[in-house]
This record gives sequence, structure tokens and C-alpha cells, in this order.
Amino acid sequence: MELVLIILFGGKSWYTVAMSALYIVGLYGLLKKSGVPGWWALIPCAREYMLACCAGREPEGRVTSLTSFFIIVLDAGIYLTGVYGADWETIIGAVGTLAVLEVALELILLIYTLRVCGGLVEVYGEKRRWLWLWVFADFIPALIWGWGKKYQPAWKVEDIRRELRAATSSGTAEVLEDGLTVNLRVRTVTEFFRKKILLRDIHLSIPPGRMVLLLGGSGAGKTVFLNAVSGYEKADATVQLGGRDMYREYKKLQYQVGYAPQQDTLRGKDTIYNTLMDAARLRLPKDVLPSERRDRVDEVMDIFGLTPSRTHLVEKLSGGQRKRVSIAAELISNPTLFILDEPDSGLDGVMARELMEELRQIADTGKIVIVITHTPDRVVDLFDDVIVLAKDEKRVGRLAFYGPIDDARAFFGKTSMEEIVKSINAPAVGGEGRADEFIGRFMEVQHA
Amino acid sequence: MPETTMENMPETTQEKSGERHITLRYRGRGSQIWIYLGKFLRMFVYQNDWKVLPMAAVIAGLVAMVTRFMFFRTMEGTLMSAFALTCVGIWNGCFNSIQVICRERDVVKREHRAGMHISSYIIAHLIYQALLCLMQTAVTVYVMRRVGIEFPENGLFTRWAVVDIGFTVFLVTYAADALSLWISSLARNTTTAMTIMPFVLIFQLVFSGGMLTLPEWSKPLTDMTISRYGLTALAAQADYNSRPLVSAWSSLISMRNSDITATVTVGQVLDYLADEENPGAAELRAVEFTQTMTSEQVLSLLRSDERTANVLRTVGDEVLLRAIGDGPVEIRFTLGEVVDGMAAKGRGKSP
Repeated sequence: MELVLIILFGGKSWYTVAMSALYIVGLYGLLKKSGVPGWWALIPCAREYMLACCAGREPEGRVTSLTSFFIIVLDAGIYLTGVYGADWETIIGAVGTLAVLEVALELILLIYTLRVCGGLVEVYGEKRRWLWLWVFADFIPALIWGWGKKYQPAWKVEDIRRELRAATSSGTAEVLEDGLTVNLRVRTVTEFFRKKILLRDIHLSIPPGRMVLLLGGSGAGKTVFLNAVSGYEKADATVQLGGRDMYREYKKLQYQVGYAPQQDTLRGKDTIYNTLMDAARLRLPKDVLPSERRDRVDEVMDIFGLTPSRTHLVEKLSGGQRKRVSIAAELISNPTLFILDEPDSGLDGVMARELMEELRQIADTGKIVIVITHTPDRVVDLFDDVIVLAKDEKRVGRLAFYGPIDDARAFFGKTSMEEIVKSINAPAVGGEGRADEFIGRFMEVQHA
Repeated sequence: MPETTMENMPETTQEKSGERHITLRYRGRGSQIWIYLGKFLRMFVYQNDWKVLPMAAVIAGLVAMVTRFMFFRTMEGTLMSAFALTCVGIWNGCFNSIQVICRERDVVKREHRAGMHISSYIIAHLIYQALLCLMQTAVTVYVMRRVGIEFPENGLFTRWAVVDIGFTVFLVTYAADALSLWISSLARNTTTAMTIMPFVLIFQLVFSGGMLTLPEWSKPLTDMTISRYGLTALAAQADYNSRPLVSAWSSLISMRNSDITATVTVGQVLDYLADEENPGAAELRAVEFTQTMTSEQVLSLLRSDERTANVLRTVGDEVLLRAIGDGPVEIRFTLGEVVDGMAAKGRGKSP
């Protein structure tokens, strides 16, 4: 019984239990006010995380939740050692060690609780002196804020269930026999005790030989979308490449997808030739002869102008050359779908243009090339289509447009790609905040 | 090279939904191990991994210079040296691998996306690290011999103690290496890994049980350390139990001119000597005494005890004198017999 009290209330003395019970009652009301089911207040560890979500301090909530868990474990350990310890020396030694660990954890919890409560004070628009009460007698503000009508949060935690219902009832894109078809209903992620929607309702078909620009503000879910499309991180979606299901046949189709990440993720201490040769060994089919493999490496090095520096270490290369090696490593396997996350970052205009022209040539060989770039206007003439992702009012990534470049200009009423991005960005980051308007309009166009 | 463009992409040999496909087979786990092993061996040269070898030589040299006159010679010196050698192994192992995975986390992620098997990557690392640890062990043992440490002639498992000890150092180094590899795979970046490492080292050193006397409750923690097993194995191979306990003798020698004043009762001495299970007492009990007496002295000794005096009175002095003759009489007895006799007398029995 005492152990249960320790786990549920963090102690077995009557005053600890009473204060915890009052805190739970207050928290029940507080969570309900923020749109979170009140019963979370009854669950140790989870309640700390939920409170942090209500305060808009989710990362801190993970720490408070984990720390609380370990404190409960230590408390239980101290209690059990006291009850079942073999002799006094063992009990004193073990309890002393656990108590030292607990002090360290309590300190961490104090700091992170301060941060969470700071967020809560901001959400409720109250004075910062409330912080002291939250830290040292949390049941008092929990009861007052949880049940007092005067205290209301500025915003509520999103109700994911309604969003999920809406997402699964949306339309679908036409499946292409030769090309990429994406029918993404929803992409969620579960962090700790909470499910979050990152993307929803993205339906599009890309024919072969197209070079597609992927636009969107920071945090709109561009990389998440590309990960879902490549099958590396699966979503509630149907992704078909050449009529084959990417998710069901991922082991076979993963070699058909080339993904060049934003950073130059290469081993700097290896030479260009060895880097590409290892990529060839890894990515090319087993029955390719060594001579054919060497030929392919030479061919790719020629395409990107890397042959003169084939024996140079990757770390000694310029930014542009390193990008080329990174892209060449993906092109080795001659992929059908080629995805590049900001390949022109860190490059000057001329080098970026050259790189994009090389990508255009790759697309012209019948491949689909999808490129994310934050400086689209200098190379926009090389692209066929544009995908625009935007965050809606619930901070979920949605499709705001997909189609030819000129249609995009007409749809958004803008002359440049950067203006389009600005129009869908939130006012807080200097945008016009019209994302929801365009998302709605594009949905109507798609359904029509 | 098979073209995998959009035109011929849906290819496998199976009949599936009425379509013919050709299966392309890619490298499996086994052959990927060799790709990565080759890569790591190149890194050994390019990425300065070779520096761990001279580092191991320097560390082994420093430790050997301090321990060369006590390793394999005295009990205390052997324990301290075995502990130091264990620490060398743990240090080398930890520094070999603490950064190797976390520093290329993004590269690993990218290659995993391109078809790399994590198991192949890890196995390749384990093989590469084993080679590295083996080389470090060889360097460590070589340096210790060069500095002048004399290894025992015979080993416990093989004919050569140096091989046994080398293998133990390798196991300690490799275990620490594998532990650090695990930490490196959990840490998000090199800073985190290097922050965790001192805690691991301190835990290994404190809970080895070699230097500090640990309380009973800490035994489960001690059992989790590499150092404890390394220390025990090295001490066993160094024949720790047979080495002289120099510190105890040194203490006694320093006390040889000291006066010891104590009061001990005869009863305490007798009790000590009567304890047959005490090996020290058993030795003393076996000490033999020889006493030469004239016949007159024998008679006066027998007369001094009431019970033997009665016997003499009954048989008469002449009978006894005839039996023992005129010459001197030699009496032999052990200290144990004396003590037993006195004890029996104390219980009222005849001696």
C-alpha cells in the first residue's frame, strides 16, 4: 500500500499525499481548460508532460516527465531497501547512494519545472510572481488556475482526433503507371504520450522526366514529406513509383531512390574515388562486374567534373565540389527518383546555377528530380513544376499548390517564388499569413 | 550494368499480376561487412586512427617505468601494477571508439537510407576495433618488456605468461572498446559522448575493488565492471597469492628494536597452546625438550608430587633405582605433552 502511495503521490506521509491529491484535482481542471483530457492528471510522469504541452514547453516536458519517472523509481528503491535490506550496513549504503542520485534529479526537475511554469504563466497571461507558488506549493496555483473562471489559457492544445478524421476522408491523386504518385493522408509522430500531426492531405502525381521545385517556409514539413515519399519514414499514405508500392516493396525500391541530404554527409578523410567506389559497391546490384562498377564511377565523376580531383580527400574540396560528390554518390545507382534537400546551400549564384543545370540534364534522361531550395528564383526557369507546402492554423503541413511554375504565379498572384513563400509564411516570421486561404483554394481546385 | 531507368524499372522474375519482372540482387549483410571493413582500414591511415598506437606505447611506458620493480615481485606491487595495467587497457579501449559512431551519425543515416545494414556496419566496427585493440595490446606488452618488467616464466593457460597476460589485457581493452562503441551509438554527438566517458571511467576505477575497500552492498556494482575481472585475472596470472607480503614484513622489521610490554597470564598461554586447531599452536606443541637428570634428581622429582610419592612408598626406592640404573637419565617430552598433562591435572586426573 505504501509503495502504491509513493508511486501515485510521490510519498507516503499524509501531508505529501494530501498536497499531491489537491495538485491532481487542480491539474485536472487545468488540463481540461487547455483541451487535454483531464484523466491524464491521474497518471504519474505523464501529467508532467501534459502540463508542459499546455504551457507550450513540450521539450522541457519530456525532461520533467523522465526525471519524475526516475525519482519515483529511486523513491521506490529506497522504500524497498528499507523493507527488505539484509542488514544495516547494506541499507545505509544503498539508501545513501540512491538519495544522492535523487538530489541530483530533484535539481534537474526544479530547473525544468521553472521553465514549464514560466511558459504556463505566459499562456495564462499572469504575473511572473506566480512562479514561486508553482515551484514551491504547486497545488495552490493548480487549484486556483484549474477551477477559477478568471484564469483562461490564451490557446488550447490541438485536438488530434478531429484532424485525423478530416484527413482520412480527403481525396486521392490519379495513379501514374510511369511516374511517382503520392497519396499521403496523414503523417503523424508520437512523442512521449502525445500524437502530433506533421503533414496531411497531400495528393499529387509526378510524371517521369520532370524537375520539381519543393517550396515552403521553415517547419512546413518539406523534409518530412520527402522522407515519406522516399519510404524511409512511413506515413499513412500510398506512394507508388512506376506503379509499384513504395512502402510494401521498400527493400527492392530503395535503390531506385537517390536522396542527397542538406548537409554534406560524407567522410572527409576519404578520397573522392574511394567514396564513390564504396557508394557503387553498396548501391549497385551484386552481379555488376568490377570493371563495370569502375566504369560507372568514372562516368559519374565525368558528369560532375570530379575526374581531375579523384584522389583528393573530400575534406579538402570546396563547398561546390563537396556537393557534387554528395550528389554523385546518389547518382551512382542511376535512381528513378532523385531527391535533393537544398543542394545549393552555401554555393554562390554561378555554382548553384551550374549544379541545377546538371540536375536538369539528369531529369531530361527520364528521371524525376525533386529539389528543395531557399533561393528558387535564380534557377526557377530550369524547373517544370512546383510543390508548395504550408503550415495551416493548426501548424500542420498541407499542400498549398502543385503544378507548373507559371500556374503557380497565377494562383498566388505573385511574380516570384520568394513572394509565394512570403505569402504563405506566418506574420510572426515576416509573412502574409495567407496559408489557410491558399490551402482551401487549392483543395477546391483539386476536387474540381 | 543493368539500367534501372523508368522504362525498365518494374522488373522482377516473379509473375505478379500478370507482369514479368527481373529481380536485382543487392549486397547482403556479409558482403557489406567487407565494404565497411575496407573503409575503416582506410580511415586508419587517413583519419589518424593510427595515432592510438603511439599513444598506447607512451601510456604503457609510463606505467611500466613506475611498476617495473614491483610487478610480479611482491604482493602489494603486483596488485598495484595489475590495477595500473587494467586502467591502461580500459583507457585505450575507451578512447579508441568513444567518438567513432556519433561523429558520423549523419553519414550512417544517409547510408542506411541507401541500403546499408546497421548490423553489417556494427560488425565491421567490432572487427576493426578488435584489430586495433590487438595492435595496442602488442605495443603495450612489448613496451613493458623493453622497459624492464620481468614476466613470470610459466603461464596459467599457455606455456608463456606473457601470452596469457597479453590476452587478458586484450580482453580488457576490447571490452572497454565495445562499451564505448555502445555509448557512441547512443550519443547524439561527440560532445555528449565525451561528457559521458569520464563517468564511465570513474565507475570502472572506483568499483574495481582493487584500490578501495568497498562495502558489501556495492558488490553488484563491482560485478558489472570490466576492471574487476581484468584485475582478478591479471592478479591470478601474476601468482598474487604466492608473492611475499612485503608491507607486513617491513612493518615488523621496523619494529624489531621496539619494546613490547604486555601482561599475559599462564592460563592464556595454556589456552592458546591447547587449541589444537590453531596451526601456530600446533607447531609450538610439537617442540621437543630433552632433560638429562641423575637418578637422585629423578627420585626427588617423583617425591615432589603426592601421587607419585605414594607409588614410591609402595614399591620402594631401590626398585626404581634398579630400573633406571646409576647413570644419568635422559627425559624427552614435547610442549604439547606438558600442556595436556597440566590440563589433565587441572581437571583432577592423573598426569
